[in-house]
Amino acid sequence: MFLALREIRHAKARYALIALIMLLVSFLVLFVTGLARGLAYDNAASIQNMAATHFVLQEQSEHRLARSAVGNKELAAAREAVGDAQATPLGMRMSAVMVEGSSGKLDAALLAVDMNGWLSPSVAAGRTITGGAVMTILADRKLAESGAQVGGVIVDVATGIRLTIAGFVDDESFSHAPAVFISLDDWSAMQARTELAAGPSADASYNAIAVQASGDRLEALREALPEAEIITKADAVSAIPGYKEEQGSLLMMIVFLFVISAFVLAVFFYVITLQKAGQFGILKAIGTRTSYLAGSVIGQVLLLSTGSLAASSLLILLAQTALPASLPFRLETDTLLLTCALFLGMSAAGSLLSVAQVARTNALDAIGRAAG
Amino acid sequence: MSMRSGFAMRGVTHSFADGGTVLQVLDDLSLEVGAGELVAVMGPSGSGKSTFLSIGGALLAPTGGEVLIDGESFAGKSPLELADLRLNKIGFVFQSANLIPYLYVREQLMLVAKLAGMEKGQARRRASALLEQLGLSHRANAYPSKLSGGERQRVAIARAWMNDPAVLFADEPTASLDASRGRDVVGMIAERTKAERKSAVMVTHDDRVLSFCDRVLYMKDGRLVPI
Repeated sequence: MFLALREIRHAKARYALIALIMLLVSFLVLFVTGLARGLAYDNAASIQNMAATHFVLQEQSEHRLARSAVGNKELAAAREAVGDAQATPLGMRMSAVMVEGSSGKLDAALLAVDMNGWLSPSVAAGRTITGGAVMTILADRKLAESGAQVGGVIVDVATGIRLTIAGFVDDESFSHAPAVFISLDDWSAMQARTELAAGPSADASYNAIAVQASGDRLEALREALPEAEIITKADAVSAIPGYKEEQGSLLMMIVFLFVISAFVLAVFFYVITLQKAGQFGILKAIGTRTSYLAGSVIGQVLLLSTGSLAASSLLILLAQTALPASLPFRLETDTLLLTCALFLGMSAAGSLLSVAQVARTNALDAIGRAAG
Repeated sequence: MSMRSGFAMRGVTHSFADGGTVLQVLDDLSLEVGAGELVAVMGPSGSGKSTFLSIGGALLAPTGGEVLIDGESFAGKSPLELADLRLNKIGFVFQSANLIPYLYVREQLMLVAKLAGMEKGQARRRASALLEQLGLSHRANAYPSKLSGGERQRVAIARAWMNDPAVLFADEPTASLDASRGRDVVGMIAERTKAERKSAVMVTHDDRVLSFCDRVLYMKDGRLVPI
Protein backbone atom coordinates (compact mmCIF):
# COMPACT_ATOMS: atom_id res chain seq x y z
CA MET A 1 0.00 0.00 0.00
CA PHE A 2 3.10 2.24 0.14
CA LEU A 3 2.75 3.19 -3.51
CA ALA A 4 -1.06 3.05 -3.58
CA LEU A 5 -1.55 5.55 -0.77
CA ARG A 6 1.13 7.95 -1.93
CA GLU A 7 -0.21 8.04 -5.43
CA ILE A 8 -3.66 8.94 -4.12
CA ARG A 9 -2.03 11.64 -1.97
CA HIS A 10 -0.31 13.04 -5.04
CA ALA A 11 -3.35 13.03 -7.34
CA LYS A 12 -6.11 13.86 -4.86
CA ALA A 13 -8.47 15.48 -7.34
CA ARG A 14 -8.32 12.60 -9.79
CA TYR A 15 -9.02 9.99 -7.14
CA ALA A 16 -11.62 12.13 -5.42
CA LEU A 17 -13.57 12.31 -8.67
CA ILE A 18 -13.59 8.58 -9.19
CA ALA A 19 -14.49 8.06 -5.52
CA LEU A 20 -17.41 10.44 -5.95
CA ILE A 21 -18.67 8.50 -8.96
CA MET A 22 -18.36 5.28 -6.97
CA LEU A 23 -20.19 6.87 -4.07
CA LEU A 24 -23.10 7.93 -6.26
CA VAL A 25 -23.36 4.58 -7.99
CA SER A 26 -23.14 2.61 -4.75
CA PHE A 27 -25.70 4.89 -3.12
CA LEU A 28 -28.06 4.17 -5.99
CA VAL A 29 -27.37 0.44 -5.70
CA LEU A 30 -28.19 0.50 -2.00
CA PHE A 31 -31.25 2.65 -2.53
CA VAL A 32 -32.72 0.49 -5.27
CA THR A 33 -31.88 -2.62 -3.25
CA GLY A 34 -33.69 -1.18 -0.26
CA LEU A 35 -36.65 -0.31 -2.43
CA ALA A 36 -36.74 -3.80 -3.94
CA ARG A 37 -36.59 -5.37 -0.49
CA GLY A 38 -39.25 -3.00 0.76
CA LEU A 39 -41.60 -3.75 -2.11
CA ALA A 40 -40.97 -7.48 -1.79
CA TYR A 41 -41.83 -7.25 1.87
CA ASP A 42 -44.90 -5.19 1.19
CA ASN A 43 -46.05 -7.66 -1.40
CA ALA A 44 -45.25 -11.05 0.00
CA ALA A 45 -44.22 -10.88 3.65
CA SER A 46 -47.09 -13.01 4.90
CA ILE A 47 -46.46 -15.81 2.41
CA GLN A 48 -42.70 -15.62 3.05
CA ASN A 49 -43.30 -15.82 6.79
CA MET A 50 -45.36 -18.99 6.51
CA ALA A 51 -43.59 -22.13 7.62
CA ALA A 52 -45.02 -24.03 4.63
CA THR A 53 -42.83 -25.63 1.97
CA HIS A 54 -45.61 -26.07 -0.59
CA PHE A 55 -49.14 -25.02 -1.31
CA VAL A 56 -51.89 -27.16 -2.82
CA LEU A 57 -54.03 -25.13 -5.20
CA GLN A 58 -56.98 -25.92 -7.37
CA GLU A 59 -56.22 -26.97 -10.90
CA GLN A 60 -55.81 -24.16 -13.44
CA SER A 61 -55.40 -21.52 -10.78
CA GLU A 62 -52.04 -20.56 -12.29
CA HIS A 63 -50.28 -20.43 -8.92
CA ARG A 64 -52.60 -17.66 -7.75
CA LEU A 65 -54.06 -18.13 -4.31
CA ALA A 66 -56.99 -15.89 -5.17
CA ARG A 67 -57.99 -18.01 -8.15
CA SER A 68 -57.97 -21.24 -6.24
CA ALA A 69 -60.68 -22.94 -4.26
CA VAL A 70 -60.13 -26.14 -2.30
CA GLY A 71 -62.41 -27.92 0.09
CA ASN A 72 -62.42 -30.45 2.89
CA LYS A 73 -62.12 -33.33 0.41
CA GLU A 74 -58.72 -32.07 -0.77
CA LEU A 75 -57.69 -31.25 2.79
CA ALA A 76 -58.48 -34.78 3.89
CA ALA A 77 -56.56 -36.24 0.96
CA ALA A 78 -53.57 -34.01 1.67
CA ARG A 79 -53.58 -34.94 5.34
CA GLU A 80 -53.73 -38.59 4.36
CA ALA A 81 -50.63 -38.13 2.21
CA VAL A 82 -48.38 -35.93 4.33
CA GLY A 83 -49.71 -36.37 7.85
CA ASP A 84 -52.41 -34.57 9.81
CA ALA A 85 -50.16 -31.95 11.29
CA GLN A 86 -48.33 -31.20 8.06
CA ALA A 87 -51.30 -29.92 6.08
CA THR A 88 -53.39 -26.97 7.10
CA PRO A 89 -55.96 -24.91 5.20
CA LEU A 90 -55.44 -21.31 4.19
CA GLY A 91 -58.12 -18.83 3.23
CA MET A 92 -57.27 -15.60 1.50
CA ARG A 93 -59.35 -12.70 0.33
CA MET A 94 -58.49 -9.14 -0.58
CA SER A 95 -60.88 -6.89 1.20
CA ALA A 96 -61.69 -3.33 1.98
CA VAL A 97 -62.04 -2.48 5.66
CA MET A 98 -62.90 0.55 7.71
CA VAL A 99 -61.56 1.31 11.12
CA GLU A 100 -64.56 1.94 13.29
CA GLY A 101 -64.64 5.52 14.45
CA SER A 102 -62.71 6.85 11.50
CA SER A 103 -63.68 7.48 7.92
CA GLY A 104 -62.07 6.10 4.78
CA LYS A 105 -61.61 2.61 3.48
CA LEU A 106 -58.38 0.66 3.64
CA ASP A 107 -57.13 -2.31 1.70
CA ALA A 108 -56.49 -5.40 3.74
CA ALA A 109 -55.65 -8.99 2.97
CA LEU A 110 -57.80 -11.36 5.01
CA LEU A 111 -55.88 -14.50 5.82
CA ALA A 112 -57.71 -17.35 7.45
CA VAL A 113 -55.45 -19.71 9.36
CA ASP A 114 -55.69 -22.27 12.13
CA MET A 115 -54.88 -20.06 15.10
CA ASN A 116 -53.39 -23.01 16.97
CA GLY A 117 -51.44 -24.29 13.95
CA TRP A 118 -48.14 -23.41 12.39
CA LEU A 119 -49.55 -20.75 10.07
CA SER A 120 -50.61 -18.66 13.03
CA PRO A 121 -48.47 -15.49 13.24
CA SER A 122 -46.71 -14.48 16.41
CA VAL A 123 -48.40 -11.68 18.25
CA ALA A 124 -46.37 -8.54 18.88
CA ALA A 125 -48.94 -6.63 20.90
CA GLY A 126 -52.23 -7.61 22.50
CA ARG A 127 -53.11 -11.27 22.89
CA THR A 128 -53.57 -14.38 20.80
CA ILE A 129 -56.94 -15.57 19.61
CA THR A 130 -58.44 -18.30 21.71
CA GLY A 131 -61.17 -20.73 20.80
CA GLY A 132 -64.13 -18.92 22.33
CA ALA A 133 -63.72 -15.51 20.79
CA VAL A 134 -65.83 -14.84 17.74
CA MET A 135 -64.90 -12.51 14.89
CA THR A 136 -61.62 -11.50 16.42
CA ILE A 137 -58.54 -10.83 14.38
CA LEU A 138 -54.80 -10.29 14.51
CA ALA A 139 -53.97 -7.28 12.37
CA ASP A 140 -50.74 -6.00 10.92
CA ARG A 141 -49.44 -3.09 12.92
CA LYS A 142 -49.60 -0.87 9.84
CA LEU A 143 -53.34 -0.57 10.49
CA ALA A 144 -52.50 1.21 13.72
CA GLU A 145 -51.39 4.16 11.61
CA SER A 146 -54.99 4.42 10.44
CA GLY A 147 -56.34 4.50 13.97
CA ALA A 148 -56.83 0.82 14.71
CA GLN A 149 -55.96 -0.33 18.22
CA VAL A 150 -56.03 -3.45 20.31
CA GLY A 151 -59.59 -4.02 21.42
CA GLY A 152 -60.86 -1.77 18.65
CA VAL A 153 -63.04 -2.82 15.74
CA ILE A 154 -62.62 -2.83 12.00
CA VAL A 155 -65.50 -3.43 9.63
CA ASP A 156 -65.26 -5.64 6.57
CA VAL A 157 -66.94 -3.45 3.99
CA ALA A 158 -68.21 -6.25 1.72
CA THR A 159 -70.05 -8.17 4.44
CA GLY A 160 -70.47 -5.55 7.12
CA ILE A 161 -68.97 -7.93 9.64
CA ARG A 162 -67.34 -6.26 12.64
CA LEU A 163 -63.97 -7.70 13.54
CA THR A 164 -62.41 -7.07 16.94
CA ILE A 165 -58.66 -6.64 17.03
CA ALA A 166 -57.22 -9.04 19.59
CA GLY A 167 -53.64 -8.15 18.85
CA PHE A 168 -51.16 -6.73 16.41
CA VAL A 169 -48.56 -8.64 14.43
CA ASP A 170 -45.41 -7.26 12.82
CA ASP A 171 -44.27 -7.50 9.23
CA GLU A 172 -47.34 -9.19 7.81
CA SER A 173 -48.62 -8.03 4.45
CA PHE A 174 -49.83 -9.42 1.17
CA SER A 175 -50.09 -7.74 -2.22
CA HIS A 176 -49.16 -4.32 -0.76
CA ALA A 177 -51.96 -4.52 1.78
CA PRO A 178 -51.65 -5.11 5.53
CA ALA A 179 -52.65 -8.62 6.55
CA VAL A 180 -55.56 -9.40 8.83
CA PHE A 181 -55.59 -12.90 10.31
CA ILE A 182 -58.86 -14.54 11.23
CA SER A 183 -59.60 -17.97 12.57
CA LEU A 184 -60.94 -20.74 10.33
CA ASP A 185 -64.28 -20.75 12.15
CA ASP A 186 -64.72 -17.05 11.58
CA TRP A 187 -63.69 -17.54 7.96
CA SER A 188 -66.39 -20.17 7.49
CA ALA A 189 -68.95 -17.95 9.11
CA MET A 190 -67.94 -15.13 6.80
CA GLN A 191 -68.10 -17.42 3.78
CA ALA A 192 -71.57 -18.51 4.80
CA ARG A 193 -72.74 -14.92 4.81
CA THR A 194 -71.42 -14.15 1.38
CA GLU A 195 -72.82 -17.38 0.04
CA LEU A 196 -76.25 -16.49 1.26
CA ALA A 197 -76.08 -13.57 -1.04
CA ALA A 198 -74.47 -15.32 -3.97
CA GLY A 199 -76.21 -18.63 -3.65
CA PRO A 200 -74.72 -21.79 -2.18
CA SER A 201 -71.64 -23.16 -3.80
CA ALA A 202 -69.98 -26.55 -3.59
CA ASP A 203 -67.62 -27.60 -0.85
CA ALA A 204 -65.05 -24.89 -1.53
CA SER A 205 -64.19 -23.19 1.68
CA TYR A 206 -60.48 -22.40 1.41
CA ASN A 207 -58.04 -21.03 -1.15
CA ALA A 208 -55.16 -23.37 -0.56
CA ILE A 209 -53.70 -26.04 1.65
CA ALA A 210 -50.33 -25.20 3.12
CA VAL A 211 -48.16 -28.25 3.59
CA GLN A 212 -44.80 -29.10 5.02
CA ALA A 213 -43.49 -31.94 2.92
CA SER A 214 -40.53 -33.15 0.96
CA GLY A 215 -39.32 -36.26 -0.84
CA ASP A 216 -41.61 -39.28 -0.62
CA ARG A 217 -44.39 -37.45 1.14
CA LEU A 218 -44.47 -34.84 -1.55
CA GLU A 219 -44.72 -37.63 -4.12
CA ALA A 220 -47.54 -39.21 -2.16
CA LEU A 221 -49.29 -35.83 -2.11
CA ARG A 222 -48.96 -35.52 -5.88
CA GLU A 223 -50.42 -38.99 -6.30
CA ALA A 224 -53.26 -38.33 -3.90
CA LEU A 225 -54.19 -35.07 -5.64
CA PRO A 226 -53.22 -35.58 -9.28
CA GLU A 227 -55.49 -32.80 -10.48
CA ALA A 228 -54.33 -30.14 -8.05
CA GLU A 229 -51.53 -27.66 -8.54
CA ILE A 230 -48.83 -28.27 -5.97
CA ILE A 231 -46.45 -25.34 -5.94
CA THR A 232 -43.52 -24.26 -3.83
CA LYS A 233 -43.64 -21.26 -1.56
CA ALA A 234 -41.36 -19.36 -3.97
CA ASP A 235 -43.82 -20.08 -6.80
CA ALA A 236 -46.66 -18.78 -4.70
CA VAL A 237 -44.72 -15.62 -3.92
CA SER A 238 -43.77 -14.88 -7.49
CA ALA A 239 -47.36 -15.49 -8.60
CA ILE A 240 -48.57 -12.60 -6.45
CA PRO A 241 -49.84 -10.06 -9.01
CA GLY A 242 -47.03 -7.68 -9.92
CA TYR A 243 -44.42 -9.34 -7.74
CA LYS A 244 -42.26 -10.78 -10.49
CA GLU A 245 -42.50 -7.63 -12.59
CA GLU A 246 -41.59 -5.37 -9.70
CA GLN A 247 -38.69 -7.44 -8.50
CA GLY A 248 -37.53 -8.23 -12.01
CA SER A 249 -37.23 -4.63 -13.12
CA LEU A 250 -35.56 -3.56 -9.88
CA LEU A 251 -33.17 -6.47 -10.06
CA MET A 252 -32.27 -5.49 -13.60
CA MET A 253 -31.46 -1.97 -12.42
CA ILE A 254 -29.30 -3.32 -9.62
CA VAL A 255 -27.43 -5.67 -11.93
CA PHE A 256 -26.85 -2.85 -14.42
CA LEU A 257 -25.56 -0.58 -11.68
CA PHE A 258 -23.15 -3.28 -10.56
CA VAL A 259 -21.93 -3.78 -14.09
CA ILE A 260 -21.65 -0.03 -14.70
CA SER A 261 -19.63 0.50 -11.56
CA ALA A 262 -17.31 -2.36 -12.46
CA PHE A 263 -16.82 -0.90 -15.92
CA VAL A 264 -16.26 2.65 -14.70
CA LEU A 265 -13.60 1.42 -12.31
CA ALA A 266 -12.10 -0.94 -14.86
CA VAL A 267 -11.78 1.77 -17.50
CA PHE A 268 -10.47 4.39 -15.08
CA PHE A 269 -7.79 2.14 -13.71
CA TYR A 270 -6.97 0.67 -17.08
CA VAL A 271 -6.33 4.12 -18.51
CA ILE A 272 -4.16 5.26 -15.63
CA THR A 273 -2.33 1.94 -15.69
CA LEU A 274 -1.60 2.44 -19.38
CA GLN A 275 -0.35 5.94 -18.60
CA LYS A 276 1.94 4.49 -15.98
CA ALA A 277 3.40 1.72 -18.13
CA GLY A 278 6.78 3.49 -18.09
CA GLN A 279 6.77 3.76 -14.32
CA PHE A 280 5.87 0.12 -13.93
CA GLY A 281 8.73 -0.77 -16.28
CA ILE A 282 11.17 1.23 -14.15
CA LEU A 283 9.84 -0.28 -10.93
CA LYS A 284 10.19 -3.76 -12.35
CA ALA A 285 13.69 -2.98 -13.60
CA ILE A 286 14.83 -1.94 -10.14
CA GLY A 287 13.51 -5.20 -8.75
CA THR A 288 9.86 -4.66 -7.79
CA ARG A 289 7.89 -7.88 -8.05
CA THR A 290 4.85 -7.94 -10.33
CA SER A 291 2.78 -9.22 -7.41
CA TYR A 292 3.64 -6.11 -5.41
CA LEU A 293 2.58 -3.83 -8.26
CA ALA A 294 -0.61 -5.82 -8.86
CA GLY A 295 -1.36 -5.65 -5.13
CA SER A 296 -0.86 -1.93 -5.29
CA VAL A 297 -3.42 -1.53 -8.10
CA ILE A 298 -5.97 -3.81 -6.41
CA GLY A 299 -5.29 -2.05 -3.13
CA GLN A 300 -6.17 1.28 -4.67
CA VAL A 301 -9.36 -0.10 -6.18
CA LEU A 302 -10.47 -1.69 -2.92
CA LEU A 303 -9.51 1.38 -0.93
CA LEU A 304 -11.59 3.63 -3.16
CA SER A 305 -14.57 1.28 -3.22
CA THR A 306 -14.45 0.66 0.53
CA GLY A 307 -14.33 4.38 1.20
CA SER A 308 -17.16 5.07 -1.23
CA LEU A 309 -19.25 2.23 0.21
CA ALA A 310 -18.73 3.40 3.77
CA ALA A 311 -19.82 6.90 2.80
CA SER A 312 -22.82 5.72 0.80
CA SER A 313 -23.90 3.28 3.56
CA LEU A 314 -23.82 6.18 5.98
CA LEU A 315 -25.83 8.32 3.57
CA ILE A 316 -28.39 5.56 3.01
CA LEU A 317 -28.86 5.14 6.75
CA LEU A 318 -29.42 8.88 7.04
CA ALA A 319 -31.78 8.81 4.06
CA GLN A 320 -33.69 5.93 5.64
CA THR A 321 -34.61 8.03 8.63
CA ALA A 322 -35.69 10.89 6.37
CA LEU A 323 -37.83 8.81 4.02
CA PRO A 324 -41.61 9.01 4.48
CA ALA A 325 -43.11 5.95 6.15
CA SER A 326 -45.35 5.34 3.16
CA LEU A 327 -42.32 4.55 0.99
CA PRO A 328 -41.64 0.86 1.25
CA PHE A 329 -37.93 0.90 1.96
CA ARG A 330 -36.20 -1.85 3.89
CA LEU A 331 -32.49 -2.43 4.10
CA GLU A 332 -31.58 -4.95 6.74
CA THR A 333 -27.99 -5.13 7.89
CA ASP A 334 -27.36 -8.46 6.21
CA THR A 335 -28.70 -7.18 2.88
CA LEU A 336 -26.56 -4.07 3.25
CA LEU A 337 -23.45 -6.13 3.98
CA LEU A 338 -24.16 -8.56 1.17
CA THR A 339 -24.65 -5.69 -1.29
CA CYS A 340 -21.42 -4.06 -0.13
CA ALA A 341 -19.54 -7.36 -0.45
CA LEU A 342 -20.90 -7.85 -3.98
CA PHE A 343 -19.92 -4.31 -4.85
CA LEU A 344 -16.39 -4.87 -3.60
CA GLY A 345 -16.24 -8.11 -5.55
CA MET A 346 -17.30 -6.36 -8.74
CA SER A 347 -14.73 -3.62 -8.15
CA ALA A 348 -11.98 -6.18 -7.66
CA ALA A 349 -13.11 -7.92 -10.85
CA GLY A 350 -12.94 -4.57 -12.64
CA SER A 351 -9.33 -4.11 -11.56
CA LEU A 352 -8.22 -7.38 -13.14
CA LEU A 353 -7.85 -5.73 -16.53
CA SER A 354 -5.31 -3.35 -15.04
CA VAL A 355 -3.54 -6.16 -13.22
CA ALA A 356 -3.16 -7.99 -16.51
CA GLN A 357 -1.70 -4.81 -18.00
CA VAL A 358 0.77 -4.52 -15.12
CA ALA A 359 1.81 -8.12 -15.64
CA ARG A 360 2.38 -7.48 -19.34
CA THR A 361 4.58 -4.44 -18.74
CA ASN A 362 8.17 -5.26 -19.60
CA ALA A 363 11.03 -4.14 -17.40
CA LEU A 364 13.18 -3.97 -20.53
CA ASP A 365 11.34 -0.83 -21.61
CA ALA A 366 13.23 0.99 -18.87
CA ILE A 367 16.51 0.73 -20.77
CA GLY A 368 16.99 3.37 -23.41
CA ARG A 369 13.94 5.37 -22.37
CA ALA A 370 14.63 9.01 -23.07
CA ALA A 371 11.74 10.48 -21.13
CA GLY A 372 9.51 9.24 -18.41
CA MET B 1 41.16 -8.63 -8.52
CA SER B 2 39.13 -11.42 -6.99
CA MET B 3 36.62 -13.39 -9.04
CA ARG B 4 34.35 -13.56 -6.02
CA SER B 5 33.61 -9.87 -6.08
CA GLY B 6 32.52 -7.67 -8.91
CA PHE B 7 30.78 -8.30 -12.17
CA ALA B 8 31.66 -10.68 -14.97
CA MET B 9 30.28 -11.61 -18.40
CA ARG B 10 31.81 -14.65 -20.06
CA GLY B 11 31.35 -15.52 -23.70
CA VAL B 12 27.96 -13.84 -23.85
CA THR B 13 26.21 -14.03 -27.20
CA HIS B 14 22.82 -12.69 -28.09
CA SER B 15 20.89 -12.80 -31.31
CA PHE B 16 17.48 -11.62 -32.47
CA ALA B 17 15.44 -13.17 -35.22
CA ASP B 18 14.63 -10.22 -37.45
CA GLY B 19 12.34 -10.94 -40.37
CA GLY B 20 13.91 -14.27 -41.29
CA THR B 21 17.53 -13.18 -40.76
CA VAL B 22 19.30 -13.71 -37.48
CA LEU B 23 20.84 -10.58 -36.04
CA GLN B 24 23.91 -11.30 -33.93
CA VAL B 25 23.97 -8.41 -31.45
CA LEU B 26 26.50 -9.71 -28.95
CA ASP B 27 29.15 -12.15 -30.08
CA ASP B 28 31.28 -13.90 -27.47
CA LEU B 29 31.42 -10.81 -25.30
CA SER B 30 33.50 -11.03 -22.14
CA LEU B 31 33.99 -8.41 -19.46
CA GLU B 32 35.26 -8.34 -15.90
CA VAL B 33 34.71 -5.38 -13.64
CA GLY B 34 36.50 -5.53 -10.31
CA ALA B 35 35.64 -3.95 -6.99
CA GLY B 36 36.13 -0.21 -6.97
CA GLU B 37 36.26 -0.04 -10.76
CA LEU B 38 34.19 2.20 -13.04
CA VAL B 39 34.11 1.09 -16.67
CA ALA B 40 32.73 3.20 -19.50
CA VAL B 41 31.14 1.53 -22.54
CA MET B 42 30.88 3.56 -25.75
CA GLY B 43 29.69 2.86 -29.24
CA PRO B 44 27.33 4.12 -31.91
CA SER B 45 23.61 3.58 -31.53
CA GLY B 46 22.56 0.16 -32.68
CA SER B 47 25.87 -1.37 -31.67
CA GLY B 48 24.21 -3.39 -28.92
CA LYS B 49 24.87 -1.23 -25.86
CA SER B 50 21.28 -1.45 -24.67
CA THR B 51 21.25 -5.21 -25.14
CA PHE B 52 24.54 -5.44 -23.26
CA LEU B 53 23.08 -3.39 -20.40
CA SER B 54 19.84 -5.37 -20.34
CA ILE B 55 21.70 -8.67 -20.11
CA GLY B 56 24.17 -7.36 -17.52
CA GLY B 57 21.30 -5.92 -15.51
CA ALA B 58 19.42 -9.24 -15.40
CA LEU B 59 16.56 -7.86 -17.49
CA LEU B 60 17.20 -10.10 -20.49
CA ALA B 61 18.52 -13.65 -20.69
CA PRO B 62 21.37 -14.04 -23.20
CA THR B 63 21.23 -16.61 -25.97
CA GLY B 64 24.56 -17.99 -24.77
CA GLY B 65 27.26 -17.40 -22.21
CA GLU B 66 27.26 -16.56 -18.54
CA VAL B 67 26.74 -13.49 -16.36
CA LEU B 68 27.92 -13.41 -12.74
CA ILE B 69 27.62 -10.98 -9.86
CA ASP B 70 29.85 -11.69 -6.87
CA GLY B 71 30.56 -15.07 -8.42
CA GLU B 72 26.86 -15.95 -8.59
CA SER B 73 25.55 -16.86 -12.05
CA PHE B 74 22.21 -15.61 -13.39
CA ALA B 75 21.66 -18.89 -15.20
CA GLY B 76 18.65 -20.94 -14.18
CA LYS B 77 17.07 -18.23 -12.03
CA SER B 78 13.30 -17.69 -12.15
CA PRO B 79 11.86 -14.27 -13.03
CA LEU B 80 11.09 -13.79 -9.34
CA GLU B 81 14.66 -14.60 -8.30
CA LEU B 82 15.96 -12.25 -10.98
CA ALA B 83 13.70 -9.47 -9.65
CA ASP B 84 15.10 -10.03 -6.17
CA LEU B 85 18.62 -10.05 -7.59
CA ARG B 86 18.00 -6.72 -9.31
CA LEU B 87 16.57 -5.36 -6.09
CA ASN B 88 19.44 -6.40 -3.85
CA LYS B 89 22.55 -6.72 -6.01
CA ILE B 90 22.08 -4.27 -8.86
CA GLY B 91 21.63 -0.53 -8.91
CA PHE B 92 20.27 1.19 -12.00
CA VAL B 93 20.65 4.79 -13.08
CA PHE B 94 18.55 5.41 -16.17
CA GLN B 95 18.89 7.96 -18.95
CA SER B 96 16.45 10.47 -17.54
CA ALA B 97 16.33 9.63 -13.84
CA ASN B 98 12.93 7.98 -14.14
CA LEU B 99 11.85 8.69 -10.62
CA ILE B 100 8.35 7.86 -9.42
CA PRO B 101 6.47 11.16 -9.83
CA TYR B 102 4.25 10.80 -6.77
CA LEU B 103 6.95 9.99 -4.23
CA TYR B 104 8.95 12.55 -2.27
CA VAL B 105 12.72 12.32 -2.75
CA ARG B 106 13.15 10.52 0.57
CA GLU B 107 10.35 8.10 -0.29
CA GLN B 108 12.06 7.19 -3.57
CA LEU B 109 14.81 5.70 -1.42
CA MET B 110 12.50 4.33 1.26
CA LEU B 111 10.55 2.41 -1.40
CA VAL B 112 13.49 0.31 -2.57
CA ALA B 113 14.55 -0.29 1.04
CA LYS B 114 11.03 -1.40 1.89
CA LEU B 115 10.87 -3.70 -1.12
CA ALA B 116 14.15 -5.28 0.00
CA GLY B 117 12.80 -5.69 3.52
CA MET B 118 15.26 -3.32 5.17
CA GLU B 119 14.37 -2.38 8.74
CA LYS B 120 12.66 1.03 8.76
CA GLY B 121 14.99 2.83 11.15
CA GLN B 122 18.03 1.62 9.29
CA ALA B 123 16.42 2.61 5.98
CA ARG B 124 15.77 6.11 7.30
CA ARG B 125 19.36 6.52 8.47
CA ARG B 126 20.75 5.20 5.22
CA ALA B 127 18.47 7.41 3.12
CA SER B 128 19.46 10.48 5.15
CA ALA B 129 23.14 9.64 4.83
CA LEU B 130 22.92 9.13 1.06
CA LEU B 131 20.93 12.32 0.54
CA GLU B 132 23.49 14.17 2.64
CA GLN B 133 26.41 12.76 0.66
CA LEU B 134 24.77 13.66 -2.64
CA GLY B 135 23.89 17.14 -1.45
CA LEU B 136 20.14 16.56 -1.49
CA SER B 137 19.20 16.88 2.18
CA HIS B 138 17.30 20.09 1.62
CA ARG B 139 15.29 18.40 -1.15
CA ALA B 140 14.25 15.32 0.86
CA ASN B 141 10.59 16.30 0.95
CA ALA B 142 10.20 17.55 -2.60
CA TYR B 143 8.46 15.86 -5.51
CA PRO B 144 10.69 15.05 -8.51
CA SER B 145 8.84 17.62 -10.63
CA LYS B 146 10.25 20.36 -8.35
CA LEU B 147 13.87 19.29 -8.89
CA SER B 148 16.36 20.32 -11.53
CA GLY B 149 17.62 17.71 -14.02
CA GLY B 150 20.90 17.35 -12.13
CA GLU B 151 19.13 16.93 -8.81
CA ARG B 152 16.82 14.30 -10.28
CA GLN B 153 19.78 12.33 -11.57
CA ARG B 154 21.46 12.54 -8.16
CA VAL B 155 18.30 11.18 -6.55
CA ALA B 156 18.40 8.34 -9.06
CA ILE B 157 22.00 7.66 -8.02
CA ALA B 158 21.03 7.69 -4.34
CA ARG B 159 18.19 5.27 -5.13
CA ALA B 160 20.58 3.00 -7.01
CA TRP B 161 22.94 2.87 -4.01
CA MET B 162 20.20 2.52 -1.41
CA ASN B 163 20.17 -1.27 -1.19
CA ASP B 164 23.98 -1.47 -1.19
CA PRO B 165 24.23 -3.29 -4.54
CA ALA B 166 27.33 -5.07 -5.79
CA VAL B 167 27.08 -3.55 -9.25
CA LEU B 168 25.81 -0.25 -10.58
CA PHE B 169 24.63 0.17 -14.17
CA ALA B 170 24.25 3.64 -15.58
CA ASP B 171 22.50 4.12 -18.93
CA GLU B 172 23.69 7.42 -20.39
CA PRO B 173 23.26 9.22 -17.06
CA THR B 174 24.41 12.56 -18.50
CA ALA B 175 22.22 12.54 -21.61
CA SER B 176 19.81 15.15 -20.28
CA LEU B 177 22.36 17.27 -18.39
CA ASP B 178 24.64 20.14 -19.31
CA ALA B 179 28.42 19.67 -19.19
CA SER B 180 29.11 20.77 -15.64
CA ARG B 181 26.11 18.92 -14.15
CA GLY B 182 27.08 15.86 -16.16
CA ARG B 183 30.56 15.96 -14.69
CA ASP B 184 29.12 16.35 -11.17
CA VAL B 185 26.88 13.35 -11.59
CA VAL B 186 29.54 11.03 -13.01
CA GLY B 187 31.99 12.32 -10.39
CA MET B 188 29.59 11.18 -7.69
CA ILE B 189 29.19 7.76 -9.27
CA ALA B 190 32.97 7.38 -9.50
CA GLU B 191 33.53 8.56 -5.96
CA ARG B 192 31.06 6.17 -4.40
CA THR B 193 32.25 3.29 -6.57
CA LYS B 194 35.75 3.80 -5.17
CA ALA B 195 34.68 4.49 -1.61
CA GLU B 196 32.37 1.49 -1.32
CA ARG B 197 34.51 -0.84 -3.45
CA LYS B 198 31.65 -1.53 -5.87
CA SER B 199 31.70 -2.31 -9.56
CA ALA B 200 30.13 0.17 -11.96
CA VAL B 201 29.42 0.05 -15.69
CA MET B 202 28.36 3.21 -17.50
CA VAL B 203 27.11 3.32 -21.05
CA THR B 204 27.76 6.80 -22.39
CA HIS B 205 28.16 8.97 -25.46
CA ASP B 206 29.64 11.77 -23.43
CA ASP B 207 33.45 11.86 -23.76
CA ARG B 208 33.64 14.78 -21.33
CA VAL B 209 33.12 12.37 -18.43
CA LEU B 210 35.54 9.64 -19.50
CA SER B 211 38.29 11.02 -17.25
CA PHE B 212 36.39 9.66 -14.22
CA CYS B 213 36.50 6.12 -15.60
CA ASP B 214 39.16 3.51 -14.93
CA ARG B 215 38.69 1.91 -18.34
CA VAL B 216 36.91 2.90 -21.51
CA LEU B 217 35.65 0.11 -23.76
CA TYR B 218 34.17 0.35 -27.23
CA MET B 219 31.36 -1.83 -28.54
CA LYS B 220 32.49 -3.26 -31.86
CA ASP B 221 31.07 -6.23 -33.78
CA GLY B 222 29.27 -7.48 -30.68
CA ARG B 223 32.33 -7.34 -28.45
CA LEU B 224 33.93 -4.89 -26.08
CA VAL B 225 37.37 -3.73 -27.11
CA PRO B 226 39.69 -1.21 -25.42
CA ILE B 227 40.09 2.10 -27.17
